[in-house]
Amino acid sequence: MSTNTKIAPSTLSIKDLLWQIQWDKDKCTLCGKCCAVCPVNAIELGVFRKRIVETSLEPDKSSSNNFKVFHGIRQKTDPVFACIGCGMCSLVCPNDSIIPFKNEETDKVKFHINRDGQPKKRGGRRNSKGGLLDEIKFIRISMLTDPALDAGRHEFELKTLLGRVLSPEKTIEHLKNKGWIPPVREIYPLIIGGMSFGALSPNMWEGLQMGVAYLNEEMNMPVRICTGEGGCPPRLLRSRFLQYVILQIASGYFGWDEIIHAIPEMKVDPCAIEIKYGQGAKPGDGGLLMWNKVNKLIAAIRGVPQGISLPSPPTHQTQYSIEESVAKMIQSMCMAWGFRVPVYPKISGSSTALAVLNNLTRNQYASGLSIDGEDGGTGAAYNVSMDHMGYPIASNIRESYLNLAALGMQNEIPLFAGGGVGKNGNLAANAAALIMLGASGVQVGKYIMQAAAGCLGSESDRCNVCNIGLCPKGITSQDPRLYRRLNPEDVAQRVVDVFLSFDTELRKIVAPLGRSTSLPIGMSDALGISDYYAAEKLKIKYVV
Amino acid sequence: MSIQEFVKISGKNNNVRIGSRILEEKIQRAVEQGYRKIEIDACGQHGIGGRLWRAGKENILIRIIGQAGQRTGSLGFANTSIEIMGPVSDDVGWLNAGADIVVHGHAANGVANGMAQGRVYISGNIGSRGMTMTKSNPRFAPPEVWVLGSVGDYFGEFMAGGIAVVCGIEPQTPENVLGYRPLVGMVGGKVFFRGHHKGYSTNDAKFVSISDEEWSWFTKNISLYLNSINRIELLDKLLDREEWQLLCAKSPIEKRAVSRRSIASFKNSVWDRELGKGGLIGDLSDIDNSHIEVVSTGDLRRFVPVWENEKYMAPCQFYCPTGIPVQERWSLIRRGLFKEAVDLALTYSPFPASICGYLCPNLCMKGCTRGLSKMVPIDITMLGKASLDAELPELPAVLSGRKIAIIGGGPAGLSVAWQLRQMGHEPVVYDMSEELGGKITSLIPQSRIPNVVLTKEIERIKSVLSSVTLKHPLKREDTEKLLDDFDCLVLAVGAQKPRTIPVPGKELMITATDFLKRAKKDDIKLGEKVVIIGAGNVGCDVATEAYRLGASDITLIDVQEPAAFGQEKEDAEKAGAKFMWPCFTQEITKEGVILKSGKTLLADTVVISIGDVPDIDFIPKDIEISNGFVVVDENFQTSNSQIFAIGDMVAPGLLTDSIGSGRKAAQAIDRIFKGRSIDEDISEMIDIKRVSLEYYDPRIREFEDEKHCGSQCASCGSCRDCGICVAICPEAAISRKDNGNNEFEYIVDGEKCIGCGFCAGACPCGIWNLEPNTPLL
Repeated sequence: MSTNTKIAPSTLSIKDLLWQIQWDKDKCTLCGKCCAVCPVNAIELGVFRKRIVETSLEPDKSSSNNFKVFHGIRQKTDPVFACIGCGMCSLVCPNDSIIPFKNEETDKVKFHINRDGQPKKRGGRRNSKGGLLDEIKFIRISMLTDPALDAGRHEFELKTLLGRVLSPEKTIEHLKNKGWIPPVREIYPLIIGGMSFGALSPNMWEGLQMGVAYLNEEMNMPVRICTGEGGCPPRLLRSRFLQYVILQIASGYFGWDEIIHAIPEMKVDPCAIEIKYGQGAKPGDGGLLMWNKVNKLIAAIRGVPQGISLPSPPTHQTQYSIEESVAKMIQSMCMAWGFRVPVYPKISGSSTALAVLNNLTRNQYASGLSIDGEDGGTGAAYNVSMDHMGYPIASNIRESYLNLAALGMQNEIPLFAGGGVGKNGNLAANAAALIMLGASGVQVGKYIMQAAAGCLGSESDRCNVCNIGLCPKGITSQDPRLYRRLNPEDVAQRVVDVFLSFDTELRKIVAPLGRSTSLPIGMSDALGISDYYAAEKLKIKYVV
Repeated sequence: MSIQEFVKISGKNNNVRIGSRILEEKIQRAVEQGYRKIEIDACGQHGIGGRLWRAGKENILIRIIGQAGQRTGSLGFANTSIEIMGPVSDDVGWLNAGADIVVHGHAANGVANGMAQGRVYISGNIGSRGMTMTKSNPRFAPPEVWVLGSVGDYFGEFMAGGIAVVCGIEPQTPENVLGYRPLVGMVGGKVFFRGHHKGYSTNDAKFVSISDEEWSWFTKNISLYLNSINRIELLDKLLDREEWQLLCAKSPIEKRAVSRRSIASFKNSVWDRELGKGGLIGDLSDIDNSHIEVVSTGDLRRFVPVWENEKYMAPCQFYCPTGIPVQERWSLIRRGLFKEAVDLALTYSPFPASICGYLCPNLCMKGCTRGLSKMVPIDITMLGKASLDAELPELPAVLSGRKIAIIGGGPAGLSVAWQLRQMGHEPVVYDMSEELGGKITSLIPQSRIPNVVLTKEIERIKSVLSSVTLKHPLKREDTEKLLDDFDCLVLAVGAQKPRTIPVPGKELMITATDFLKRAKKDDIKLGEKVVIIGAGNVGCDVATEAYRLGASDITLIDVQEPAAFGQEKEDAEKAGAKFMWPCFTQEITKEGVILKSGKTLLADTVVISIGDVPDIDFIPKDIEISNGFVVVDENFQTSNSQIFAIGDMVAPGLLTDSIGSGRKAAQAIDRIFKGRSIDEDISEMIDIKRVSLEYYDPRIREFEDEKHCGSQCASCGSCRDCGICVAICPEAAISRKDNGNNEFEYIVDGEKCIGCGFCAGACPCGIWNLEPNTPLL
C-alpha cells in the first residue's frame, strides 16, 4: 500500500504481515466475491495508477509520459485488518487469482496487536506443529503369537466404561448388603468433548447432536457428546436423545436452572455429568462469551438476559480444593438424578493432576477423571494462556494411570484424555496411543470441528477468529449470515463418517494386538517411541 | 496284483501309526508304480490324496477308510478323486486345485479353504470357516462345495469365487443353516441354500433370484452330488425350486453404495419427530436456519454500501474558517456553471475576491487532499479573483423586524451584517472610521491588493446594508443604550490598541498600525534604515511598505523564530528584509535599537509590531474579558447573552477567521430569533483515505484555468457524478437516479448487491461507504 504519510511505530507494510495476499491481476475478473466474503475485511478494491513512459530518441518525436488507472485487490496493512489466512477469498474466487501465503518471517502483527494495552486474544489452538502422540508407534504386531485378528473380518466390541467400577469384593459386599452400586455406562471410547451452545453456532451444535443420535440409533454405536458450558436446549433435555449427552457444569453455571427445571420432565437420564474445573487449551483462563454473541437464543438457553457478556471465571468461587469440590459438587450432582448418573470432574493437564486423582480414588461418587492437555482448542483465550500454559496429555495420563495401577485401582476409575487428539489428522492413532497409555477413552473437539464442519484453523496460526463471532464457516458464529453457511445435516453426515472411519482405523490398530472384546487400556507394551527420554518417561519401549 | 484293482495302503505298520510323511511317500510311490486305485486305511494322517500329479492325465481314485486326518485332499489335482468313507477332520480340500472329494459324513472346520478348482461333496454338516477364500480361475470351472446339512460360523469369508450349495437336510442348527456372520468380505461366487438363516454380511453379499440357467446347472449337478453321497432319494425333495435361495457377492460399485438411512430421512423421521418441528431450537427461535450461499445478497449480505453524498465536509471547506464549500464551486465549474461558481462564495463572505483572491493564506489549499500525495492543491485564487464580478443574491424582500447593532465595520462586522441581511434581519453597522472595511481598508498595503478590488467589494456590500453609521465612536453608556434599542449587539471592533514594550526610548517607536495607516496614505517619511520589532505578518507588511516608501535596509527582529508566513513573508523577503532572532530589546535611541546582547541595530525608524489588543473601554462591564480579549462561547456569545463578539476582539486571527466568526455568530443569532436549539451539528470532515487520487495525473504542477482546476479537484465527499461505481459494480447493482432539478442520487439494488465494497473502493470522491448490515437478531 502506497503511503507518503508520516509513519507510526505500528505502521506496517505487507512484508510485516503474517499472511500475505497474492493476487493475480491477469486472472482476476473483479467479481468482488473475495472482498464480500473476507471475514476481517483484510482486502478491498484498490485504485492503482500505472505510469507508462514512451521514450523516443528521435528529434522529431518527443518522449511521453502517461498515467493509466487500473483496479485490483489490495491488502490492508493496519494490524486491525490483518489477513488471517483463512483463504475464503481463494474458496470463492472463480479464477483462482487470489490466495493468502504465510510469511516465513516472524509475525510483526504480534508486536502491535496490543493496542490500548489489551493483549491479544484469539480462538483456536496452540499453533504448535508436531506432538508426541504422533511419534508413538504400535510395535506389538501379533501374527501367530496372540490370536491374530483381522480388522475387516472379526467382530470388535470397541466400547469403554464410564463410571466407577467397584472392586469384585466390594461389589459382592454391596450386593449382599443391598448397598449402592455406582452407575456405569458402556460407551464408545471416542467422545465429542465439551463445546458450548454459544461457542458453537446453533447449526453446528444441532449437526453434532444429530450425528451423535444417528450413530446411536442407526449404527448402534454408543457415541456420547458433552454439552460444554452453555446450557442445553430445553427440547433436547426432554428428549430421548439426552441419554447420548454428557451435561457439563462449569464455573459460570450457565443454563443450569433450565436443566434443573427439566429434570421432572426428562424421559431418560443424561449419560453423565462433567464438572469442568479447567480447560487444557487455556489453564487458568476462564470462558468469555462477549455480549454481542449473547442473542435471544443464547440468552434463552443459558438462562440470562440478552446482550450481556458472560464470563466463566477460571475457578469455582466456592471451591478451593479438590476435597471441597468432591464433598460439595460431585455429590450434589449425583443427588440430582438419584445417584443414577455418573459424575466426573474434568481438569486441565497439570503437574497437580495426581493430587486430584488420589482424592477421587477415595470418593465413591467420583465416576472418573477427564484430563485435558495443552494441545486442546478453545473458543476464546489470551494468547499467553494458549501458547505458554498447559501440560502435555501423554505424560499426564500416563502418570495418572500408573498411579492408579500402583493403588491397584486402574480398573476402577476410568481416565479420559483430551487435548490435541488428532491435531495432525491422526485421530485413531493418537486415540489408541492414549488408550494404551492408560486412558479409558478420549475426548475430541477441534478434530470434529475440522472434520465435521471444515474449520479452517491449523497449527500455522490460520484463521483463529472463533472468539469474535466471524467464523467464515459458520461454526463459531452467532450471526445467521455466517452460521447458515453450515448445514446441520451435512455436519451430521460428517460426524457419522468420522466415527465410522475412526472405528475401522481403531480396529486396524487393535486387531494385531489380538484385542477384539476389550480396549487395550494401559497395554503399554504395545507402544514404542524412538525418543529415549520420552520412552523412559512414559515407560514404553524405546525403539530405533 | 492288477493295477486296475485297489491297492491297499495302511496307515499303520505293525499296528503302529506311521507318520504323515511315510504314508505320503507310500502313496506317491504307488502312483509312480502305476497304481490308479488306492485304498488307504488312514490313521489320522494329514494331507492324504493331494499332489498326485505323477499320474498325469490318468484318473486316480483314492478311497479312505479309517480316520482321515487334517487337510485331506489338500493341493489336489484334477486327476484325483477322493472318497472318504466317514467324517473328516479340518481343512479338507485346502488349496484344492481340481480334486473331487466326497465325504461320507460330517466335515470339521475350514472345508475347502482357499480351494480354486474341484468339488467337495459333504454328506453331513461342516464346521466353521468353510468355503473361505475360495477362488475362481477363468481357465477352469469354478470350485464347488456341496453340504447336505448346515454350515458352521463364518462361512464364506473372503469368498472370491466358486459355488457353495447348502441343502439344509438334517442340519445341525435348523434355525440357521448358514451359521453366524457368513460371507464377510465375499467378493465373488454364489451360495445356494435351503432353510433358515440368521443374516449374512449385507455389505458384501446380496440375494438374487435363481435364473433358469442357474437352475438348470443346479438340477444337473445335484444328481451327481446325491449319487456320490448315495442319497439320490432326496432328489425330489431338493428339486423344489421355491425352497432354494441364492446369495451372491455384491459388485464393488454396489458395495460402495452404503445402504444406510440418509441423514435427511433421519432428520425428518427421527430427529424432528422426537424434538418437534425445527429441531433442537424450534421452540426458542423462528429464525430460518436453512443453508445459504457463501456470497449472498439482500438481507443476507454482511455489508451494505451506503451513498454518503455530502455527509462529510471536504477538507477545503472544513479548513476554510469562513466555511466556503470550495469543492461545490469546482463542481459547478465542471458542470459549466461558471457564474454560479463565482456567485456562490459571495453568499458566504462579503469579500470573496479580496480575501480568497488576494489576502487569504488559503487554508483550503493547505488542507487540500491532493497535497497528501505531494500533488499541487487546487488553486482557489483564480476563482477568488474572478469573484470580483460576483452578483449579489436575491435578498429577502420582507424583513423579520429583528434589528441588530453591529459595532465595527471591519471584516467581522461586515460578515455578520451580510449574513444577517441574507437571513432577512436588519443589521445596523457603526464604525469610528471614515470608511468600511476595517483593517483591510486602513492597514493592508496596496501592494497586496489592488485598490480597485477592495473598493468594488466595499461598495457591493455597502449597497445592501441600508444602515451604516460611520465616524461614530461609542462610549460605554452609548453601547449600553444600544441594548435597549436592538435585539442584540455584535462587537466587532477588532484589535486596535498596539502592544508595546516598556523599554527606555519607547516613545521613539512608531506602532505598526500607525505606520501602515499612514503609509497607505503616503503620509510618512522614512530614513534608509528601518528596524521592525516583531517579525510576524504585520511586521512583514511594515517591511514591504517601508521598502515601497524608500527604505533600503530593513531588519525584522523577534524574541523567537519569526511567526511570519505566506505571501507577507515572501513579499518582505523580496523587499530585502532581514530576519533576526532571538533579539531582546534593551533600549531605543536615536541611533537605533540596542539589544540586550549589547549590539546596536542602527535605525532611522523603529516600528513596533508585536500585536494589538482590543479597545474594550466602550463595552459593558458585565462582559468577561481574558488577557485583553473578550471571552465568548462556541457561538460567539459573550457572558452577556444579548451581546456577541467576533473577529480580533475575541482572538487575533486571519481575515477569514473574522469572516467565519461573523458567519457563525449570525447563524447563532438567527437560531435564537427562530427559537431553535443553539447547538448545531458540526459537520465532520471526510476521512481523506476514502478519496482516490490515483485517478489524477500527479505530474500536473499548475493549472491552466478554472476549468482545469475543476477537472482535477477530487471532490472529496461530494459526488462528482462520474458513474465509476455503476461501471465497477460486478453485479450491476448500482444505478443513477435522476431526481429532477439537476438532482440525482446513486442507488443500490440490494437483491443484486453482494456487499463487496467495490463501489467504495473505486469511488474517486469517497462517497460510498461499506457498513455492516443490520443485525438479523
